[in-house]
Amino acid sequence: MKTDRPNIVQMTPIQEIITTGILRPLTSMTQPNESSVSCTCSIIKAEAFSLYYGDNVGVKNVSMEIHPCTVTAIIGPSGCGKSTFLRSINRMNDLIPGVRTEGKLLLDGHNIYDRRTNLVGLRQQVGMVFQRPNPFPKTIFDNVAYGPRLQGIRNRGKLEAIVEQSLKAAALWDEVKDHLGQSALSLSGGQQQRLCIARALATKPRILLMDEPCSALDPISTGKIEDLIEQLRTTYTIIIVTHNMQQAARVSQWTAFFCLGELIEYDRTERIFSNPANKQTEDYISGRFG
Amino acid sequence: MRLGLRLALDRSFTMLAATAVIVLALALLVLLVPMVSRGTSAVFFRGTVEFRRMQLALYHRGKPGQINAEIDRATAARKRIYDLVDQFKQGIHTDDLKVQLRRIHRQLGQELQERGLTGQDYARLRTISTEIRDRLERALDTTDPNEVRVNLDYVLTFSINPELSSTSAQAYFKIAHQLRETMQRMDLAKRMEYASALRELEGILQELFGPRPSSQLPPLLRQQYGATRWDQAQVLLHKLLYKEQWVQQDPDRPLIRVETPRKTLFAGTSLEELFDYVPRHIEEMLLPRLTVYWQFFVDDSLESHTFGGVGPELLGTILITITAMVIIIPLGIISAAYLSESSADWLPIRIIRMCLNTLAGVPSVVFGLFGLAFFVLTILPALGFGARPSILAAGLTLAVLALPVMIRASEEAIRAVPQSYKEAALALGAGPVRTFLTVTLPAAMPGILTGIILSLSRIAGETAPVLFTGAVAMGPVARSILQPTRTLAYGSYDMAVGDRIADLSPHNQYGMVVILVLLILLLNALAIMLRARASNKLRGHA
Repeated sequence: MKTDRPNIVQMTPIQEIITTGILRPLTSMTQPNESSVSCTCSIIKAEAFSLYYGDNVGVKNVSMEIHPCTVTAIIGPSGCGKSTFLRSINRMNDLIPGVRTEGKLLLDGHNIYDRRTNLVGLRQQVGMVFQRPNPFPKTIFDNVAYGPRLQGIRNRGKLEAIVEQSLKAAALWDEVKDHLGQSALSLSGGQQQRLCIARALATKPRILLMDEPCSALDPISTGKIEDLIEQLRTTYTIIIVTHNMQQAARVSQWTAFFCLGELIEYDRTERIFSNPANKQTEDYISGRFG
Repeated sequence: MRLGLRLALDRSFTMLAATAVIVLALALLVLLVPMVSRGTSAVFFRGTVEFRRMQLALYHRGKPGQINAEIDRATAARKRIYDLVDQFKQGIHTDDLKVQLRRIHRQLGQELQERGLTGQDYARLRTISTEIRDRLERALDTTDPNEVRVNLDYVLTFSINPELSSTSAQAYFKIAHQLRETMQRMDLAKRMEYASALRELEGILQELFGPRPSSQLPPLLRQQYGATRWDQAQVLLHKLLYKEQWVQQDPDRPLIRVETPRKTLFAGTSLEELFDYVPRHIEEMLLPRLTVYWQFFVDDSLESHTFGGVGPELLGTILITITAMVIIIPLGIISAAYLSESSADWLPIRIIRMCLNTLAGVPSVVFGLFGLAFFVLTILPALGFGARPSILAAGLTLAVLALPVMIRASEEAIRAVPQSYKEAALALGAGPVRTFLTVTLPAAMPGILTGIILSLSRIAGETAPVLFTGAVAMGPVARSILQPTRTLAYGSYDMAVGDRIADLSPHNQYGMVVILVLLILLLNALAIMLRARASNKLRGHA
């Protein structure tokens, strides 16, 4: 897939992003080389993780580590298991009947697929933003306050503080602060998606999963979301599935390439995009297939 | 060419569709207009003085002084009729007169004893009295004028007898004089005919004006008042003026209705005047006035809906509907949630769904019998309530009846909620129940309200299911939901099939139907408003 996004938004050249991308993780975390990537540097760790829908393979034998306070992009052709892998991190695949898993998927060393896993707790730690903006048909305030209310926060003042903080973090506060009582559905698509991000942030997660968050948005909104991801990276671990190679290059520090349910290559973004180790990866990135 | 053909076809289809719509609209109009107009006349009508008298006596409404003044005015106007009738009656009602004769004879006997007459005198006077009585009776029985004259003359010879002066026997002579006068005025051969015609006339007069002021009150409440409504009075007036007869003209044909002016029946008698007097003075005698009887909605009815309103029926309908809805709404939503959230291919679910679809098409009378067998005779007695129809049993039966409708509508609504809402809630850490209550249910609310509207309309108008389980045609107002009640639908059904009263007060029956229609319209309008608000809120216009 060759993505030539129209040059409506002022885009930074890929190289520049990659450079800043290198600089950031260096300052914020230790060098993730093979030896030091043990428990200290990985927040999520997959160990030979597989997921099946009945007889169909969703994800097969994936082993990878995701580092805290980075943006990890997952790329790959359609139907390759990107979203499946992403959704298995907060166990959203449980909704689909006939799902079964093998191997381990660890969050802070605990297996997510352990029978004793507290789903509510897990999902509060692992927030998710979906492909299409899906705000509830409620007011803006109620949308953001939904998560905190689930956690049992009833105090109006506290809720207001959380809502404001979350909307500010999602760069939406200035646009909606005067009409928090309005229906979320009256917002534009880009605003709705940022509202969804704010809603996810309000539960104070450590990890934010983004499943093609910009695919339903126009370039201006996409630019805003990307800027937002850039800012959020300092506090959250972000995993983003994207079909847009340039977006992956712009926003991520690490990139994983999936194909047919298998993890083909996982490395620093600039290495994947400049010098991929695998032929398949190179073919995909250069647009020869996918 | 082909384009022209297509255009013509297009136009003809449009015409056809438009015609169908117009025909439907007309049919609806034809159906509704008479019903509504008659129903409205239960509340807005011209009430007569009899209506106000009834309201004052039975419901203690109105100003007594004013109404009594009105009654006096009407009575004054009516006096002329009664005078005419009384005048004509002399010599017609022979049975009455005979009774009177016997009474005089007895009275005379007592009087004679009180005077201390004994032995011969007493026996002699008694014999005379017997003689007079018998002669008078003979005069009453015969149709031969000569015989009457002979008998009367014979009786009147005793009138100068000093022994009988200033005794009860004077009444004999009064009757004899009257008879002689009557005989001069009319043909004695027609006396029987007149008697029956007069009886009929008096019956109509009582229906029209109520019982005569001085007479004894009839036991039936409905006979204690005349025509309370002007339209009713018009019908009775027509009945008074024209005698309806069914005549056979040809043995193979059905009977033909013939109306003969009643005046001709009394031609040449003193009563003829009545038939000119009544139509001319009917307004003075009944004093019709435009009345708004809004209490129709709250009043209890009297004497099988002759008087009063439909308060208990309205209350009963509302109570039964509420009882059923209280059961249906939560049960329907929970069932719909279960059906929609569980996998559609699972065999038990498929069977349940099939059963629901079948139940939705079962005739309502079947539900009525089921309710009788299951709720009235089994479940409620088992729970310690009596085995008798009650609002609760009717509500339960109707709930079973309307549940399939409710479940299907709600299920559709819940299924229509985007999966993404549920995913979002789950991803935020909400459990399935929480997700359903806080996200799915509010988003499905407009659709669920549609289900509520549908089942509500079905419930409020049902007759057959409540027939066996909770409705009665008459009886006291229900004090608890364990008692049976009257309902609008059942009431109008009962009046239509079982009761002559419906003929006398059609406004009542139509009133019930119109109120039922209005009630359902009102409930629907309410639900539609709620629904519009809910969906506006969802769409973000609120």
